[in-house]
Amino acid sequence: MTVKRFRFLLILAVMVIVATQQAAWAAGEGHESPSLFEGDLGNVIVTLITFLVVLFALGKFAWRPILGALKSREEFIEKSLREAREDRKAAEVRLKEYTEKLEAARKEATAIVDEGRRDAEVLKRKIEEDARAEAQAVLERAKREITTSKDTALKELYDLSAHLATDVASRILRKELSPDDHRQLISESIEQIGKIERN
Amino acid sequence: MNTAMLAAGNPMNHVYQWVYQRTDIGVDLGVFAPEGKVTVFSNHIAMQIIAALLVILVIPRVARTRQTGDAVADLTPRGLGNFFESICAYFRDTLARPVLGEYTDRYIPYIWTAFFYVLFINLLGLLPIEPLLRVPTNMAFPDAHHGIGGTPTGNIWVTATLACCTLFMIVFNGLRINGIEFIKHFFQGPIFIAPLIAFLEVIGLVAKTFALAVRLFANMVAGHVLLAVLASFAGMAFAGLGTAGGVAVSAIVVLVSTAFNFLEIFVAFLQAFIFAFLTTIFIGQAVVIHHHDDHGHHEEHDEHMEHNRGTVPSQ
Repeated sequence: MTVKRFRFLLILAVMVIVATQQAAWAAGEGHESPSLFEGDLGNVIVTLITFLVVLFALGKFAWRPILGALKSREEFIEKSLREAREDRKAAEVRLKEYTEKLEAARKEATAIVDEGRRDAEVLKRKIEEDARAEAQAVLERAKREITTSKDTALKELYDLSAHLATDVASRILRKELSPDDHRQLISESIEQIGKIERN
Repeated sequence: MNTAMLAAGNPMNHVYQWVYQRTDIGVDLGVFAPEGKVTVFSNHIAMQIIAALLVILVIPRVARTRQTGDAVADLTPRGLGNFFESICAYFRDTLARPVLGEYTDRYIPYIWTAFFYVLFINLLGLLPIEPLLRVPTNMAFPDAHHGIGGTPTGNIWVTATLACCTLFMIVFNGLRINGIEFIKHFFQGPIFIAPLIAFLEVIGLVAKTFALAVRLFANMVAGHVLLAVLASFAGMAFAGLGTAGGVAVSAIVVLVSTAFNFLEIFVAFLQAFIFAFLTTIFIGQAVVIHHHDDHGHHEEHDEHMEHNRGTVPSQ
């Protein structure tokens, strides 16, 4: 509201000033108009002086900082672009390097795994073979022991049988037998037992 | 009110130089000092001084670089500083560098100054301050018939002086940079027509300067006369068609004048730009001499071109 009123008052004031000046001017009408090319050496000198003053003042206080800013910005942009390009190049080289390294590492890892697998396979086979051999050995030993035990048992059985047979025979006959008879009886008994065993 | 005032007088009053004070220098220099007197103060001189002060006060203020401590922020202008700097950068990088090559930074302050000085004068001339300053002007100079105001670039003496500054820049720097080559450059072709060519070249140089002066002068005068004539229609309508007709015509006149004022703002920029741009080209032609093949300087030519190209950063 106040701003609007202020503006209105300002416009009114300007109108009043212009109107009064218009009136003041009207009294002075009737003078001769100058030419379109009005001017002389004075204008030349004034133009030269103002232009040169502006040239030197701006040269010192405006153009130097502006030119400096433009130049430093130019250099900054150029430097940034160059650095960016170099960084990019370096990054590409590094990327290539790392890709290669990664590839090598992957190959190496694959090789290691393969080797491990191969080793494991070999080991597995060896363990299996060992186990099998050991089992075989145990079996063999058991068989051997069984055979030995059987032989021992058989021998014992022969001895016992011979003794028993002798005992039984002597008991049955209750007579003196000549040693030849004994021997004959024994070998017959053995033969018979051998038959039984064979059967 | 303004319209009635303009209607009362000659529309051309708006663009004339109104001399407030002359001084006697004792020698009659013809057109330069009629009857031995020269102008000391006039509406145009006042406006020139105001424009000069404004330029000196405004541009250095906005040209200060920011001091934020951040390297990137210091290089990025903001606000009004950005407005001025972008104009400066455009002149330097886009217009001047292809023409001036390695000499760009040496002459760019002159080009910038020419642009902003002319621009400020052109824009100040668009301000309708003359009716407001009549009484103060009359108080200072009782003989004054016109208040301070107007466009100094609508004064041929002012534009001619500025154009002569450019001519001086052309000749002085052509000689300073290229020495005798600059003179030789005028004498082209076979020996018997070389003096004639040189004569034509000199005339061309004068014509360039003259065209520079007249172009700016004529454009500024034309725009202001157009506005004044438009305004005078309102006064004529009041006188011939009565109040109703006067108001109707005035309404149209105000609308059209507003549109033309926008055009004049554009013209103010355009003419300042053209003045500065042509100055750039003329200085470039004098300073960076391209040898022609018929001179027999093939190698030198190539070297010269390479040299120039080398200074332009690839973009």
